[in-house]
Amino acid sequence: MSSTQFIELVLNGLITGSIYALVGSGIALVYGTTRVLNFAHGELMMLAGYGVLLFSVTLGWPVLLAALATILLVMLLGAIIQRVTIAPLMKREDWAFNVVAVTIGLSIFLQSAAQLIWGEQFQGVPYFFSGVAVIGDVRMPWQRIAILLVALAVMGLCALVLFRTRLGRIIRATAQDAEAALAVGIPSGLVHTAVFSISAALAGTGAILLSPLVTVSPWMGASYLLKGFAVVILGGLGSFGGAVAAGFLLGLIESFSVSFVSSEWSNVVAFVFLIAVIWVRPEGLFAGRGA
Amino acid sequence: MLQLERVNVHYGATRVLWDVSMEVGAGEIVAIMGPNGSGKSTVLKAAMGLKKPSSGVVRLDGEELQARSATVRPQRGMSIVLERRRLFPRMSVEENVMLGAYTRKTAEARETYRWVLDLLPEIKPHLNATAGKLSGGQQQMVAIARGLMANPRVLLMDEPFLGLSPAMVKTVCSIMQMINERGVAILFNEQNAKLSFAMSHRGYLLESGRVVLSGSGEDMLDHPEVRRVYLGMREEAA
Ligand SMILES: Nc1ncnc2c1ncn2[C@@H]1O[C@H](COP(=O)(O)OP(=O)(O)OP(=O)(O)O)[C@@H](O)[C@H]1O
Ligand SMILES: [Mg+2]
Repeated sequence: MSSTQFIELVLNGLITGSIYALVGSGIALVYGTTRVLNFAHGELMMLAGYGVLLFSVTLGWPVLLAALATILLVMLLGAIIQRVTIAPLMKREDWAFNVVAVTIGLSIFLQSAAQLIWGEQFQGVPYFFSGVAVIGDVRMPWQRIAILLVALAVMGLCALVLFRTRLGRIIRATAQDAEAALAVGIPSGLVHTAVFSISAALAGTGAILLSPLVTVSPWMGASYLLKGFAVVILGGLGSFGGAVAAGFLLGLIESFSVSFVSSEWSNVVAFVFLIAVIWVRPEGLFAGRGA
Repeated sequence: MLQLERVNVHYGATRVLWDVSMEVGAGEIVAIMGPNGSGKSTVLKAAMGLKKPSSGVVRLDGEELQARSATVRPQRGMSIVLERRRLFPRMSVEENVMLGAYTRKTAEARETYRWVLDLLPEIKPHLNATAGKLSGGQQQMVAIARGLMANPRVLLMDEPFLGLSPAMVKTVCSIMQMINERGVAILFNEQNAKLSFAMSHRGYLLESGRVVLSGSGEDMLDHPEVRRVYLGMREEAA
């Protein structure tokens, strides 16, 4: 393998990985704080995809504005979904299974609703950035590089909020012991809603970055959900930092496996790796860190 | 000051508290004694609003709180030290203690913080340590410090001696007395009759979710039923 090929594989791995990290860290944040495994997380991505279509293509807003509007929209939708469907159930003693069932139902509902509203034809979003970056002998479209950079910035911002702000402190307190948090006066119910919203923003960022490269469809979130879950397990259930690290690792593994086996096998390699990790280290590779 | 009136609590379809009535006067130390699973923790949780009663009244200084969320309690002057400390394990001791003042203004919290550290100087060397890494005794001090940060007039404590060494039990005991001397009422529960009633002004005996006996600490210790069942003494020896 030439060094150019190597750098290309690493870069591709990091780019794919940054999407996995965005999706997985959102799932991890919600799971870590509320113990809810959100099967409708992929649909928050899908809704963001349609948000970009609406704001940037249909309404013709500038990219940055459309992206911001999309993020705000999915944050709001995330909060509403949590308040209306999940929060009431969590007041009951036996919520654990019911909530899983509800998020699966939500996922199906949102996919079908999208299909009814926007139909089956897949739609694309034009590139946000034109041009090709040249790094040594490696040529990479700016659009793809931007995925990595923006994802890093957004996840960095999220980590800053989690570990350096008052909001972050009450999120971590709720994650570590919701009842003790409630006892000191932290409204842990509202914290749960806020965390859902932040997680929706992470998923939305992923969808926005992907939207020029994939087609926006009712099912666009489904495949990423599976990768997101894999990342959450690899990262140590509920660890934000672990999920970010695991996302990049999974991206790199997939990228390198493509150069050895054909691309249809990259998913197989990724999940074989996941199963191996579950065998050897069921607590995850990066357990014990993060929120 | 704190009153529970005919409080009933259910977990699902199971009823675990049956018309429990209790009272804590200003400046009192009150013990709830009872065997495993008798509902001691549930009483404290119902008082704190961590478990909603299915019926009954929880009153603090005349204000009915049973329908209000737990989050209003610290503002009204009630806080709790939960069973098994329940610190935020991956946060520092200082963060844990400061979170106890979550509902208060920063300036007031700073003042209470100094007061609490004076009262519990044992935690000073550990302020930057990760709470979950401390010993049980140290964690209990931090948990008490966190509870005091709300500047409560009544402090609830769920099995404050659980898992502590005999020496540490003594320490925590004297800390509770010290806190009480500063005017804080304490309602705590404990399975050991002697420990519960010897240090309290009044006590309640809870069995299967019902209050079966109540009285002053001394009366409770002298009661034949308590002596026979919980102190392992024979009638004639009494
Ligand atoms: N979350 C829960 N769900 C269902 N039942 C519960 C729950 N918590 C407590 N119980 C039941 O309620 C009853 C009273 O429990 P509680 O914890 O108040 O007792 P306790 O006197 O504090 O016991 P211990 O000495 O073990 O701390 C027990 O029978 C227990 O099994
Ligand atoms: Mg208990």
